[in-house]
Amino acid sequence: MTNHVARLYAVALALVVLFLTWAVVAARPWAATAAEKDPRIVALERREAQLRRKSVRVERQVKRRFAAYEVRLRKRKRAIAAIQAANASTAASAPVVSAAPSATAPSVGVVSLPPITSTSSS
Amino acid sequence: MERHAFPAMGTRIEAFLEAPPGLDAVLGLASVEREFRRLEGLLTRFDRASELSRLNAAGAIEAGDDLLAVVEVALAARERTGGRFDPTVHDALVAAGYDRTFELLVGGSATAAPPRTAGGVRIRGRRIELDPGVRLDLGGIGKGYAVDRAVALLAPLGPCLVNAGGDLAVAGVPEEGVWPVAVEAPSGPLTLGLDRGALATSGSDRRRWRAGDAVHHHLIDPTTGRPSDSDLLRVTVTAPAAVEAEVLAKALFLAGEHAAVAEADELGVPALLVTCDGRVLRAGGLA
Repeated sequence: MTNHVARLYAVALALVVLFLTWAVVAARPWAATAAEKDPRIVALERREAQLRRKSVRVERQVKRRFAAYEVRLRKRKRAIAAIQAANASTAASAPVVSAAPSATAPSVGVVSLPPITSTSSS
Repeated sequence: MERHAFPAMGTRIEAFLEAPPGLDAVLGLASVEREFRRLEGLLTRFDRASELSRLNAAGAIEAGDDLLAVVEVALAARERTGGRFDPTVHDALVAAGYDRTFELLVGGSATAAPPRTAGGVRIRGRRIELDPGVRLDLGGIGKGYAVDRAVALLAPLGPCLVNAGGDLAVAGVPEEGVWPVAVEAPSGPLTLGLDRGALATSGSDRRRWRAGDAVHHHLIDPTTGRPSDSDLLRVTVTAPAAVEAEVLAKALFLAGEHAAVAEADELGVPALLVTCDGRVLRAGGLA
């Protein structure tokens, strides 16, 4: 009777060992270990991390430069507005062309300089 | 030398400014283009919405400063030149076939009957009134007016020159001492040195088109209402302002060779005349 019980325990234990071994073999732990160690994957991951850090730095730099550009742009727009206002007031105050002939004619003569522009029939 | 060129008023406009490169120069030259576009929008006869077209359509309007100034100058010029310069040649130009911008003019038909010129135009305060059937063309004198305005705009920034095809004006003295400007001549271009004021060229060698069997040009003789048959091909004159130079060039062209030389000498207006047979004449003390 004792032998039967012992045999039953032995069979049960053997079944447990069998299933455990099956589970371990089915999980293929050696394959995961091998992938983690692939140097190409490791290099790619390192490169990805580098790029992430770099993109953060670049983004920060772009934001800084854009802020500086916006400040310069506002200054330049103010300068342009001031010059345009000055030009507009010059245009408004430009003398209206006189209907009377003017007395002082320009002096003009033939020269040997290279022409800056040319005149043709209008 | 800063330069800006753009098309406007049916020709190519060039503006030169002797100033250090920078924002002031860029904006100054841009203001020249803006002024030309503004004045073109007011003074063109090819746009129904222009102030001039509204005057021509209605016969009378309360005019803005610029139209009023140009019409006053044109009427004074008509008086001064005994009618050789006449702003009421609009219908004569249309009758000769010049009824659209020159770029679009590929050929037209001229009417047989010469249209009337020397029409009545009155200015009362700001109101311009045209006699029935009278319409104005301010093409040439409007361009001269725009050149004078543009030079007045640029002058505070430094020595400058504005050239609108045949009409140009200068202000200030450049490094070379004079502004060298090439003028066409049969034997090759002559370079004139202009120290101040303006210069204009009028001639029948440009803006020509075929209407039927005849070749027409844009310089209307107000006495006939038809394109002039002057024995001059081209006249270049100098004057203190571009509007005056424009008027004088046209008046001398219509006068013909002998009268033009005599008139330029008498007025002391330096002028270069090219005859239809290819001779180049200097008058008015042109050295």
